[in-house]
Amino acid sequence: MSSNYPPAGWAKVLLAYHKFSGSWAWALHRVTGLVLTGYIMLHIFALMSLQKGKEAFDSEMLLFRTPMFLFLEWFLFAFLLFHALNGIRIVLVDLAEGARYHKKLYYAAVIVGLILFFGMGYIMFTQDTLHSVAAVK
Amino acid sequence: MSSKYYGSRGSGAPAWYLQRVSGVALFVVAIGHYILMHYHLDSGHTYDAVLARMQNPLYKALQISFVVLGLYHGLSGTWNIFRDYKMPAWLSWTILGLIYLAGITFVSLGIATILSF
Repeated sequence: MSSNYPPAGWAKVLLAYHKFSGSWAWALHRVTGLVLTGYIMLHIFALMSLQKGKEAFDSEMLLFRTPMFLFLEWFLFAFLLFHALNGIRIVLVDLAEGARYHKKLYYAAVIVGLILFFGMGYIMFTQDTLHSVAAVK
Repeated sequence: MSSKYYGSRGSGAPAWYLQRVSGVALFVVAIGHYILMHYHLDSGHTYDAVLARMQNPLYKALQISFVVLGLYHGLSGTWNIFRDYKMPAWLSWTILGLIYLAGITFVSLGIATILSF
């Protein structure tokens, strides 16, 4: 067994890796973090139209009121939720006694995240927001 | 030691700690951002609503802190990921340079937009 270690090639390393909750948390935290960093730059860039005045901004915002962008923003919220809740877990592990219950914290973060994700979906896609979208079109 | 390939010979402990502090601060600021900006579809998506809000210096302060904290935390985290891989010195410095450039550029653009009101 041990003679096979380390396995050659990154794909084999990846497949041989034991994927416990902590590994998932580590990988997902990086992926969501990179996406959120890209998003905040895109967000700042998109909002530069505020400097050009009312017409430029309002016409740009019409794009973000379409159902497709609402859907994308819902999943952006999912990325933010995971990163924020797992971030609290990391702080508890690093600066408190979280290492003793980090798996429970992970499952708690996933469950709370899913509840907030679907709650946000309900808020975003109920009649009020859809009415606003329809009103603009 | 491979530390010569990295941007710093320091232990990285202050950056590690600041990443936790800025993360907790962002947790609070992000909740505020969501409630204030996206409570309703109109509250963050019309020029008049934004203009009205931006008359309040507290809103401007919240926005500026979100821009600075978010980019610091995000770009510091990005560098953190790159640091896990062994790279030739030129590549490491190029990536670090691009991260600093992105930080300076987008902090400036964000603050310019906020202060244009």
